[in-house]
Amino acid sequence: MIPLSWWLMVSAALFSIGVYGALSRKNAIGILMGVELILNAVNINLVAFWRYVAPNDISGQVFAIMVITVAAAEAAVGLALVIAVYRRRHSAIVEELDILKQ
Amino acid sequence: MNDLLLLSPEIIIAVTAFLVLTLDIIWKGDRRSAVILPWVTVAGAVAALLAVVYIWPAASDTYGIATDTGNFVPMLALDRLAIFFKILAVLTVALVGLSAVDFIAQRSPFRGEFYVFTLLAGLSLMLLSAATNLVMIYLSLEFLSISSYVMTAYLRRDDRSVEAAIKYLLYGAVASGVMLYGFSLLYGATGSVDLATIARRIGESQVSLTFVVSAVVMILSGFGFKIALVPFHQWSPDAYEGAPTPVTAFLSVGPKAAGFAVLIRVLVVALPEYSVNWTAILSLVSILTMTVGNLVALWQTNIKRMLAYSSIAQAGYMLIGLAAWSAEPGGWAGNGISGILLFLFAYMFTNLGIFAVAIALENQLGTANIDDYAGLIRRSPYLSIALIIFFLSLIGIPPTGGFMGKLFVFGAAIDRGLYILAGIGILNSVISVYYYFGVVRRAFFVEAEDDTPIRVSPALNLVVTVTMIMTLLIALYGQPFINLANSSAQILAAAF
Amino acid sequence: MPSDYVPILIYLLVATFIAAFALVLPHYLGPRRPNPAKSDTIESGKLSYGDARRRVPVQYYIVAMVFILFDIEVLFFYPWAVLFWDLKWYGLVQIAIFAFLLVESYIYIWKKGAFKWK
Repeated sequence: MIPLSWWLMVSAALFSIGVYGALSRKNAIGILMGVELILNAVNINLVAFWRYVAPNDISGQVFAIMVITVAAAEAAVGLALVIAVYRRRHSAIVEELDILKQ
Repeated sequence: MNDLLLLSPEIIIAVTAFLVLTLDIIWKGDRRSAVILPWVTVAGAVAALLAVVYIWPAASDTYGIATDTGNFVPMLALDRLAIFFKILAVLTVALVGLSAVDFIAQRSPFRGEFYVFTLLAGLSLMLLSAATNLVMIYLSLEFLSISSYVMTAYLRRDDRSVEAAIKYLLYGAVASGVMLYGFSLLYGATGSVDLATIARRIGESQVSLTFVVSAVVMILSGFGFKIALVPFHQWSPDAYEGAPTPVTAFLSVGPKAAGFAVLIRVLVVALPEYSVNWTAILSLVSILTMTVGNLVALWQTNIKRMLAYSSIAQAGYMLIGLAAWSAEPGGWAGNGISGILLFLFAYMFTNLGIFAVAIALENQLGTANIDDYAGLIRRSPYLSIALIIFFLSLIGIPPTGGFMGKLFVFGAAIDRGLYILAGIGILNSVISVYYYFGVVRRAFFVEAEDDTPIRVSPALNLVVTVTMIMTLLIALYGQPFINLANSSAQILAAAF
Repeated sequence: MPSDYVPILIYLLVATFIAAFALVLPHYLGPRRPNPAKSDTIESGKLSYGDARRRVPVQYYIVAMVFILFDIEVLFFYPWAVLFWDLKWYGLVQIAIFAFLLVESYIYIWKKGAFKWK
């Protein structure tokens, strides 16, 4: 069987790519995509840990389903906001949102 | 007692939310939505408050779902701590709902949904403060976050409101993603999502320390975001300034209280083994938070932005209580947690009161600049007096609730020998006098360009009066409140 | 047993062969006289216009987002459906409450006019 550490490495790589994307992207959509990668890394972790560490208790799987659902809700609100901004300013670049002073 | 009865405050709030939504659909958001729905909301909150009082004697149970393998998965705790935060949540819903009446009716075509979101955000606060399970904590935290994002963007034709919401959402989504990765590592290290079981597994030292430490750091960043502790505070001034003012009032109290509830529960229930480590981290974060919040607040010209930094600083003071926590019972000032609870209680009334004053001015003037407070004493003597009392409370000068909160939090720190931490807290309170009294000075000693009296609607007047009386009452007749905080501070580490 | 899957393997091979046969044979047998109308995009008999790579009206995004949300909520019906008999009335009442909330939000979206195509 594939050892647990392999799954964790995939997940850690995905998490790092996600964090990098979220921090380096200027487009709001790009940042949201980075967040989705982070959440998918979490799901890999949860399911892998469920299988290898606590296979008798399905909390890990249930947790992953909840994460998927909440991620969809969060993405829906995020996209709605991006559209609201885009309609008024014709841009989804975060750096150009500077009405509120820093 | 019956399980459903124990959940009655949450059920009442949820049913009220759906009632308000249905009525709003039926009435198609017309005049009736704007006038009647706020009072339906307040009625629901009062009913929930009565239900909380009713279940108070039963507060000791943990309940959850039973699985067919005979495992019992605890989801929510019904301890005094949870009930205390439920009281806080329903009061916040009622006061925010009342102070929003005119503001929302004047500015938004969607008058009914605002109260739905206020109620749902209140519901998520109640669930979050009782959650004893990583799944439940995540779900209710995201429930609160998503409701807050939508409320922040409520004036969607206003560029500032939408911009505030998108910044809040992007910061929040990243923070909660990182926190969730921490949850998954904690689950992997202990094989459980239940806080009490996690504590037991850590106590039996079957777990890898590297895992737990990296998990805890990630989790703290998520909670720190909600509370707006200093390395994670950048979203809050923008979100506070851009959000509709009643929403700012909610943001300054709701997520902060919820963040403290969940922080207390996770640290005290799941990670008491590491209390030596987190005392050091929390002391450092607390010092940073107070100092940065107060120093930046000095330069602000917008009242909402100033209050954003002020509330960052207040969270720093509260964190002192958690840094001073230890498993042994404390001296006269309690174990630190009771100080936080008392502080939060006073802070809620004080902050909601200040924002009610700010909303009254904004309803008439359309802006939120500190310079607009010039000559307030002639335009509305009542609001000016209220403003002084609220600012005294934020500084922590008797006879106000804020003084009691600070007394107990700093007292707990001195009890534990954290003299430097308490000293920096007191020093920061002195700095804060400058900017709080900058507003008071304008209100009393600067001539107004325009002497038109400020007209205050009955609902706002009610909010100002109630919050002012409570702010004074916590100090003048403090014993019941101290007892409430002390008995709420006993946390039941769910015994499974 | 792996041998149980042999019929499926045969079925896959036959299906692939028929599809390949139907594609390759006309290529060699049929005459080819291309003209502009023939090589144009098929638009179900209508004349095609414009480029496919253009901005879709924002209205479409609302429907898409609502679809994604409801699509994912269906996820929660599967575990209940699998355990339908074991959960008895308890499960039925719970899923009924869940379904009620979905219907309520659906009515809300509908009444707010999110499905009107302007």
